[in-house]
Amino acid sequence: MITGKHLARRTFLRGIGAAISLPVLDAMTPAFAATTRLASNSPRRMAFVYVPNGIIMKDWTPDAVGTQFELPRILKPLEPLRQQVTLLSGLTHNTGRALGDGPGDHARAAASFLTGVHPKKTAGADIQSGISVDQIAAQKIGSATRFASLELGCEDGRLVGNCDSGYSCAYSNSISWRTTSTPMPPEINPRAVFERMFGDSDETPEARVKRLSYNKSILDFVLDDTQRLKGDLGRTDRRKLDEYLDAVREIERRIEVAEHDSKQFVPTIEKPAGVPVEFADHVKLMFDLMTLAFQADLTRISTFMMCREGSTRTYREIGVSDAHHPLTHHRNNPEWIEKVTKINCFHLEQFAYFVNKLKSTPDGDGTLLDRVMVVYGSGLADGNQHTHADLPVLLAGAGNGAVRPGRHVRYPKETPMNNLYVAMLDHMGIPPEHIGDSTGELQHLTDLS
Amino acid sequence: MPPRLLPLVCLIPYVCLAAAPSFEKSIEPFLKSNCVLCHNAKLKVGGLTLEGYRDAKSALKDRELWEKVVQKLRTGQMPPKGRPVPTPEEIASVTGWFETQFVRLDRDMKPDPGRVTARRLNRVEYNNTIRDLLGVDFKPASDFPADDSGYGFDNIGDVLSLSPVLMEKYLAAAEKIARKSIVADPPPKPTREKIEHFPAKGEESPAQNLSAPHPLPVEGDYLVRGLVNGRHEALLITLWLDGKEVKTFAVSTDDEAPRMGEMRLHIPAGEHELKATLLHDDSRPDAEPDPNEEKVKDKKKKPGRDPFVDRFEIIGPYNPHARPLTEPHKRIFVCGHAPGQHRPECARLIVAALARRAYRRTVSDAEITSLVRFINLAQQNGDSFEQGVRVALQAILVSPHFLFRIENDPNPNNAALSHRIDDYELASRLSYFLWSSMPDADLFRLAGERKLHKPEVIDAQVRRMLLDPKSVALVDNFAGQWLELRNLDSFKPDPDRFPNFDEDLRKAMRQETRLFFEAVIHEDRSILDFIDGKFTFLNERLAKHYGIAGITGPEFRRVALTGDERSGILTQASILTVSSYPTRTSPVLRGKWILDNFLNDPPPPPPPGVANLNEAAIGATSSLRQQLEQHRANPACASCHRRMDPLGFGLENYDTIGRWRTQDGKFPIDSTGTLPGDKTFSTPAELKEILKADRDSFARCLTEKMLTYALGRGVERYDRPAVNLISRQLAASDYRFSRLVLEIVKSLPFEERHGEAPMRPPQQSIAFSGGKP
Repeated sequence: MITGKHLARRTFLRGIGAAISLPVLDAMTPAFAATTRLASNSPRRMAFVYVPNGIIMKDWTPDAVGTQFELPRILKPLEPLRQQVTLLSGLTHNTGRALGDGPGDHARAAASFLTGVHPKKTAGADIQSGISVDQIAAQKIGSATRFASLELGCEDGRLVGNCDSGYSCAYSNSISWRTTSTPMPPEINPRAVFERMFGDSDETPEARVKRLSYNKSILDFVLDDTQRLKGDLGRTDRRKLDEYLDAVREIERRIEVAEHDSKQFVPTIEKPAGVPVEFADHVKLMFDLMTLAFQADLTRISTFMMCREGSTRTYREIGVSDAHHPLTHHRNNPEWIEKVTKINCFHLEQFAYFVNKLKSTPDGDGTLLDRVMVVYGSGLADGNQHTHADLPVLLAGAGNGAVRPGRHVRYPKETPMNNLYVAMLDHMGIPPEHIGDSTGELQHLTDLS
Repeated sequence: MPPRLLPLVCLIPYVCLAAAPSFEKSIEPFLKSNCVLCHNAKLKVGGLTLEGYRDAKSALKDRELWEKVVQKLRTGQMPPKGRPVPTPEEIASVTGWFETQFVRLDRDMKPDPGRVTARRLNRVEYNNTIRDLLGVDFKPASDFPADDSGYGFDNIGDVLSLSPVLMEKYLAAAEKIARKSIVADPPPKPTREKIEHFPAKGEESPAQNLSAPHPLPVEGDYLVRGLVNGRHEALLITLWLDGKEVKTFAVSTDDEAPRMGEMRLHIPAGEHELKATLLHDDSRPDAEPDPNEEKVKDKKKKPGRDPFVDRFEIIGPYNPHARPLTEPHKRIFVCGHAPGQHRPECARLIVAALARRAYRRTVSDAEITSLVRFINLAQQNGDSFEQGVRVALQAILVSPHFLFRIENDPNPNNAALSHRIDDYELASRLSYFLWSSMPDADLFRLAGERKLHKPEVIDAQVRRMLLDPKSVALVDNFAGQWLELRNLDSFKPDPDRFPNFDEDLRKAMRQETRLFFEAVIHEDRSILDFIDGKFTFLNERLAKHYGIAGITGPEFRRVALTGDERSGILTQASILTVSSYPTRTSPVLRGKWILDNFLNDPPPPPPPGVANLNEAAIGATSSLRQQLEQHRANPACASCHRRMDPLGFGLENYDTIGRWRTQDGKFPIDSTGTLPGDKTFSTPAELKEILKADRDSFARCLTEKMLTYALGRGVERYDRPAVNLISRQLAASDYRFSRLVLEIVKSLPFEERHGEAPMRPPQQSIAFSGGKP
């Protein structure tokens, strides 16, 4: 007697942070269904850029609110683009706090950043976070494009040892979570990303059709096989295979999109040879690829981790030979604070490149930046004290009128960060009831505060 | 059945000699006078309260908590300095009581093998498995996203997730592997290829002769032409192949005739070197200069230029042979027929043999039938039999039976019923543990004969596997993570402070530790050699780094160590480097490294934003040691740092990149230290003596780390009897490395598993820092 056979699809939703209904097979619905809600023909898009280890907040937060404010030192690289960004102060991720779980703020910072859920403390067994906001969107509107979403990063999560105080490295290596137990590790190699987007061979159309049809038969075969196998397995093993099935179905969908995809997009950059030696080149290349993916409408949702949370990268190129994470525990040593500030500035310079790139890429009657909402931020505010309140968060782009940029808005203390995500999903045409501990939709994105 | 744990009781003398104390009479008063002053419900120092335990029963409910308490008492970490210290007898009475109770609990506990979640192959395992399945080292996993790790290792079933990106990569990799492995395409039709000479930048005129490499896909007949350009002189052109002169031709001076040498040759497949050389032919007159030279000048011929070989043309293949069969192809096509000659029954044979090895078990007729369908499908599409095998191979390589190591439970939904895993599952557990790869023919054969689980058979197999070169996987994957050696690759010491550090040194550091670990495996040495083995492996670069004379050349060789500066793993440059900051050494990091990896007693992380370590002052107005000692004066920091820092001070004689030193800036190195329990040392060698004296803690640590790696899951409380047994057997066999591995593979959690209750059991809190009970 086999019990629990029908658990499979439901398990995706267990412990979910969002209260909207998410039938997984929605990913199979025709492409036009999801986009009909949008006002403009040009699609809305969202991206999330994560930086680790917090920010030196005194050089991040402007003194004044509204439109008349001086950009502090760290945000200076955005000066030419200030009319395109919105600074959001006062947002908090309460779910990143210990809440009785003791140390591990770095792991929680990354794991809660887009999920809005307090991750389960475990070094391995039974990993649990929530479905991240990008994946909520991907599952709803991802079927419109070849890739439901892209997950990119610039630091391989291959460090060994303990990642953070009894939390598995899965929590600090990814911000994007497809299910409550499946993180989406970012892709690091620009060449591999390029090949995935544009293919790596110049095969004939006939060969392509044949290849895709064989692939479909293969996936049918493994789907059947897996369904059979699942019945004989225990609960946790079944969950692993559900993860597998979910991935197979997503690839099936991609193949279907690819079959009907006659659009030819000629990428405006050469195929990258590999990972550039200079970090800044690497980051810029990844931003180029994200821009291309939006431009070619290969995806509308993307996440990017500048570095993994708790990163110990050194920044020799700007004269910082010390590892980033230990430096952030500066204990008010001015020399260390200066070094961290330099790293923060450096990251912002790369981000400014991205915003500028989006601004200079035409899209319909405007630019990509007009249609996109890009969140830039960290899951920690003060890296020294591990604070999860008043997080460094900014929004670039106008999201097709969802945001009126060029302002600094200060929200009341402890306003949930999740309220921002509720607002963003609403503007993407998929209003959720709530996400995690959200208390409503973040206000003042379009008006003066 | 695992042996009972009774004898342990009488290893603790106190318990055997004295009348048994009770919780109420001995423990509670002890707690009252020594512990609850800080650890009460109100203060909860360290998140811990020891109030409210009235009797043995209530206390033993929180066993993990009391185990930690006992450990702190026994090692002298508690009560903290400055508090009245109980007498050794009082402490022994308390720890003895608890230990007796623990042993009793363990004895009454039903043996529990636990269960391992289906493990997805990680990147290394995927690469190795493809290598051993097909016989070619394609390394297809290099583009896969990084595998997350848990419990310090990246082969943990629960943590290895599968995202759509990875699935897409699996599909693409399977396609590539199938294409490279199976020769399915018909020989190419003849084509004409030109190989031209493009002058390099700054090169005025092309050189007179031409040579070029050229690959040929198949063996066959080819026309090779060398074409001449430039002034119409009487010339001789000589064609060469692979460095051998083949033929010389007189080049026509006639304006209409092609100016070339042409030969038809039978050439084997592969990379070839073409060459053509020109000589003036003195036996013939040159052509008359063209009276219309001006006119022709713009044309490509450029008759005014010195003659040169302009290009090769290769036309072919004619009468082509079939494409050469690859090693994987020969392995897969077990029928042994020539391409195109396969009979229908071969399909089943080929697919069955492949699937059995790829799935690492027997396969059912139904499974074979469903895979053979791909061959039929391909043939219906007008593709060849071989093409069909390609598709079947692709399907096998993306099947969950290949990508996951799935173990079957007769009672998947019942956690109470344990069973021994079958011999095929055991073969995979062994091979992925010791080789990070699939079982080989011997293991498959023994599994098929159902002999593998027999103690004498498994014993012989483990010894064989450890000596096999594939056991290097244990070095790279187990030791690479246990010792945090993998972090060496991304470590960037500050080049201003350590200008000598470069890639050669990094490689040499890594190689020393790898060879050392390999020697322990292959020579079946004592694991205590990790603490202070008096040998190592050095090349000139690393020997100079260590100040050891007389070693020249880049190759590594075994070196016997004399003197006190180096021995074992702790004083190897690799370990000293990964446990430092990029700019300076850190006794805290090094101490933590030892607690984590040698004693499996990790300290909790510091509370954020704790007191100041004056970095700027280090080495200027005070030494690092003085700074840290100030830090430890803070009682909030003291209890942990009292354990960590002295261990690290003992290694202060080694700088950030592991060089020996006696000075740090203007301050002399002070490598003395006192560990809890008043164990003092004054040199690195004496520190190692202390660690070695506590060999059972080290053995236990290594056992738990290796068991975690072997099982692919965290070591849990119910594994404790197994860990105890392994550690004891290890001690009884002079701590031989092979004994550790053998006892692990014969342990209950390695050989058995049970099902799983369908519903999630209530969460058990393992609270210490979390504020329970």
